[in-house]
Amino acid sequence: MAGLKDTLKRLLFFREPEKIEKFILKENSTDRKIPETSITNDDLQNKEEQKNREKNETQNKKKNEDLLLKNSGKEKQDAQKNKKKESEDKSEISTSLSDNLEYMKKIYTVPINGDVVIREFKITFKDKTVDAFIIFIDGMTNGTVINTNMLQPLMLLSNLNIKDVSEGLEEHIKNRLVPHNQLKIFRSYKDVIDQINFGGCGLFVDGIDVAYAADAKGWEHRGVERPNTEMVIRGPQEGFTEVLRANTALVRKILKDEDLIVEDIAVGKRSRTPCAILYIKDITNDSLVEEVRKRIKSIRVDYVLDSGELEQYIEESSFLPAPQIFATERPDRVAYMLAQGRVAVIVHGSPFALVMPVTGTDLVHSAEDVYIRFPYATLLRLIRILGIFMALLLPGFYVAITNYHQEMIPTDLIFAISASREKVPFPSVVEILIMEVSFELIREAGIRIPGPIGPTLGIIGALILGQAAVAANIVSPILIIIVAVTGIGSFAVPNFSLAFAFRIMRFAFIFLGAAIGFLGITTGVFVMGIALCAAKSFGVPFMAPFGPRTAGSFANQIIRAPIWKQEKRDDYVNPKDIRRQAKISRGWIKRSPGKEGKGGK
Amino acid sequence: MASKIVFGKWESISLLAVLMSTQIFLGFPRLMVEAAGTGAWLLVIYAAVLAMLLFAVISKLYSPFEGKDIIDIGGLAGGNAGRIITGSIFLLYLIFIVSVSLREYAENMRIIYLNVTPISFVEMFFLAGMIAGAFMGIESIVRLGAILAPVIAVGFFMITFGIYPYYDFSKIFPVLGSGVNNIFLRGFSKISVFSAISILFLIAPFLKTNKNFKVTGYASIGISAVMLTWSSLINILAFDYPAALERLMPVFQMARLVNLGRFFQRVESLFMIAWAVSGFLYLSAVFFFIAYVFRKTFKLEYYRPVIFPFATLVFTISLMPPNVITATRLEIDYFRNYVWIISFVLPIVVLLIARARIKASKTGGAENA
Repeated sequence: MAGLKDTLKRLLFFREPEKIEKFILKENSTDRKIPETSITNDDLQNKEEQKNREKNETQNKKKNEDLLLKNSGKEKQDAQKNKKKESEDKSEISTSLSDNLEYMKKIYTVPINGDVVIREFKITFKDKTVDAFIIFIDGMTNGTVINTNMLQPLMLLSNLNIKDVSEGLEEHIKNRLVPHNQLKIFRSYKDVIDQINFGGCGLFVDGIDVAYAADAKGWEHRGVERPNTEMVIRGPQEGFTEVLRANTALVRKILKDEDLIVEDIAVGKRSRTPCAILYIKDITNDSLVEEVRKRIKSIRVDYVLDSGELEQYIEESSFLPAPQIFATERPDRVAYMLAQGRVAVIVHGSPFALVMPVTGTDLVHSAEDVYIRFPYATLLRLIRILGIFMALLLPGFYVAITNYHQEMIPTDLIFAISASREKVPFPSVVEILIMEVSFELIREAGIRIPGPIGPTLGIIGALILGQAAVAANIVSPILIIIVAVTGIGSFAVPNFSLAFAFRIMRFAFIFLGAAIGFLGITTGVFVMGIALCAAKSFGVPFMAPFGPRTAGSFANQIIRAPIWKQEKRDDYVNPKDIRRQAKISRGWIKRSPGKEGKGGK
Repeated sequence: MASKIVFGKWESISLLAVLMSTQIFLGFPRLMVEAAGTGAWLLVIYAAVLAMLLFAVISKLYSPFEGKDIIDIGGLAGGNAGRIITGSIFLLYLIFIVSVSLREYAENMRIIYLNVTPISFVEMFFLAGMIAGAFMGIESIVRLGAILAPVIAVGFFMITFGIYPYYDFSKIFPVLGSGVNNIFLRGFSKISVFSAISILFLIAPFLKTNKNFKVTGYASIGISAVMLTWSSLINILAFDYPAALERLMPVFQMARLVNLGRFFQRVESLFMIAWAVSGFLYLSAVFFFIAYVFRKTFKLEYYRPVIFPFATLVFTISLMPPNVITATRLEIDYFRNYVWIISFVLPIVVLLIARARIKASKTGGAENA
C-alpha cells in the first residue's frame, strides 16, 4: 500500500527534479563549454543573482563550519575508526613470515576453507635457509604451473651456487629464482589477495616486506564454440566464452591493431569481477571512453556476476523498453563496432560483450549483413523490419480492423472471417489474448524444459493451440495464422533484448486497438516514438541518424550501400577519424590519365 | 537547460512544414474553395507569396536578435511588462488553436469511424499524445517530426495520385474562381494559413544562427505552400465546385475514392494513421509551446509542472463548443481571419520597438559618454 501511495504521489504532484548533468557526446572535450554570444540585461541580472547566491553560500558555509567544529568530536572518532578499517584492509605486508601466515589464514578462514592451499617450504639464499610459503586456491589454479614455475625453482634451484649474489633477497627471487612469465610484486595484502582470488599463486618469504603473485589460472571452462544466439551462414563461427582473456584475445586476433586498448577494470566491492574496456585509441571519441570508464567505476555493489547485470547498472534509462547497450557473443561483431568508433566492455564470466553507444538501427542489423553482398543485406534488413512491424502491430491491427474498420477488409475475406468466427463465443480481443498468452507460455516453457522433452512440448503446444482450440471453437482458424505470423516476426528480430521489448509492447497495442481502433494504435506508436526519440545511449540519440539527422550515415542504416560506398564512420558517435576508407577504395578501378581512350579500343 | 538544445535545419523545417500543412487533413481545402471558388489554388499561392514577403521583412528586423525568441525580444522592447504582454498574447493564441484543433481532430475521428463514441473519450487519446510529447520536450518532438514528416507527405501524395482517374481539368475553370477581388483583396487575410510560422519565432534560440532562422522560415513556407496548393488544386480537380464546397474533410473523401484493384478498395483507414500522426505532431508541438511560453513569460524554472494544468484547461475549452460545426466556424471565422495579426503584425511591432529602444539606448550611451 505504501508503494502504491508513493506512486500516486509521484504521478499527481510535482517533485523538483534532481539536477543531474546528463552526458552529451561532443566532438571533443573542449566543446563542452558553450561560448556566450552576447550579454543581455537578463544575463547581467542572472550574474548578480549568482553573486548574491555565492555570497549567501559562503556565509552559510562559515556558519556550517562553526557548527561542524562543535560537533566534530564524534565524527572525528568515526572517521578515525573508518580510517583504521581502511588501513586494515590495505595494510602492508609484514617482514615476519609468521605474521603474514597468520593474516592469510585469518583472511581465508583456513582450515575451514577446504580449497585454499598453503604450502610452507624453505629457500636457500647466501648459505642461509629462509622460510617461505605459497598460497593458492585449488581448482582455480594450474598445479603444474605452480610446481614447475614456483616450487621447483624455489626449493631446488635456490641451492645452486649462483656467482653474483650482490642483490637482495627480493630482487634475487624475482630475477634469478622464479622463471614464471607473469610475476608481480606487491606491498599490500589487498593486492595479493585480489590476485589469489583470480587464479594467482601468492608467495610470501620471511624477512622481506613484499609478496609475489604469479598468474597460475587453471580453472575449468568452456572452449570457443559457435555462438548460440547469433548464428550466421557466411562469416566467422566463433563465439565468446566465459574467460576474459580468451575473449579479449578473440577480439585482438581479428583487429590486429596496436591502437586497440584493452583497459582492465574491476567491478564489485566483493566480487572484484575483472572487466575490460576495449576501444581503438585513435578512432574512438575520448569523452565516450571517459564516460564508460566513469560509469563503470562509479558502481557500488557487492557482486557483479554477468554482463547483463553490468548493462543494467550503466544504461541511461531503466524504463525504456528498448535496450540501450548492445550485447553480442560474436567477437567479429565487437571488432566491427570497435572499428566504427564504439566502446566494448567484456565481463569475466559472461559470454556476452557489451558495446556502446547503440542506436535503433544497430539493433536491426545482424552480423551477417557485413559479409554478404549489399542487395542481399538490404533485402534481409527490410524483411527484419517487416518482422518487427508484424511482431509489434499485427495482433493490434487484427483487433482494430475486426472491431472498427471492417470496411477495409475485402468482401470475400470478411465473409471468410465472419464464418470462421461464427461459433467462437469470445470477442476477438479475448480470443487473441488467450492465444498470445498461450504462445508466451509455450515459449517460456520451451526454454526451461529439459532438452529431450522439448520436442514433446512443441507437439503438445501445436496440438492444443492449433487443432484442439479451433475444434473446440475457442479460437478461430484465422487467429491461429495471426498469432503464428506474429511469433515468426518476433523470431526475425536479430537482437534478443529488442525482441523482448516488442513482445511486451505487443500487448499494449492489442489493448489500444481494442479500445479505439487505429487511433489507439496511432497513439501508441506516437508515444513510443516520442519515448524512443528522447532516449539516448551514452549521449547518442537512440533514433540517430534519422532523428536527429546526421551527415553521411545513410549508407549503412536500413538500405545497405555497396561496400566501397561506405566511406565514413557513423557521424553520431563523433569518431576522431571519420573516414574509414579512401574515396576510391578499390584502387584497381582508378584510371591513370591519358590512358582513357586505350581501354575502349 | 533549454538553451543547450539545438536543432538541425532538417528537423526545424520538418516541424514547421508539418505544423503549417497539417490543416490539409482538416477543412483547409474546403475553406479555400469557400473563399475563392475554383481559384482556391491561386489564393494559396498568393497567400504564400505574401507570407514570404512578410517573413523577409521580419527576418530583416530579426537580424540583431540572433538566438532570441519573440518573448525575449518583447522583454527587450518593454522590460517585464513587454515580455508578459507578448507572452500572454502568444499564450492565448496557442491555447485557442490547440483547443479548437483538438476538438476538430477528435470530431473528425468520430465522423470517420467512431460515430457513437463520446467526444471526451476520443479527445483523451489525443491528449495522451500531447502530454507525452510535451513531457518529453521539444527535442523529441522535432526528432519524431523529422522521421515522420516524409511518411506523412508520402501518405498525402499517395492519396492525391491515387485518385487520378477522377481528375477533370475542365473543373479548374474559371481560373480566377469567385473573382480577383476575393483572391487578391479579401484573400489577404488568408495569409493566416501560414500562421504556424509564429512557432519559428519561439524556436529561434534552438536554431542558434540567423542563417538557420531564415532558411527554416523560407523552406517551411515553401514546402507547405506546395502541399497546400496541391491539396486545393486536387480538391477542385477531383470534385465539382459545389461538392468541393460541402466536403467537411476533403482529403478523407479523396482517400475513400482510392481504388487499388478489386482487393484493396477501402483503404482510407490506413491513410487515417498518417493524418492522425500529423495531428499528434501538431497538437503536441503547439501544446509544448503553451507550457514553454508560460515558463518563459513568467520566468519559471521548470515547464513540466504546468503541463497537467494546461492539459486540463485545453481539454475543457475544447469541449465547450456544442458541436463540430461551431468548432469549425470558430476556427474559420475568428482564427483563420485574424490570426495573421498575431503571427505577422505582432512580431513586426515588437521587433520595431525593440530595435528603436536599442538604438535609443546606444545613442543615449554615446551622448552620455
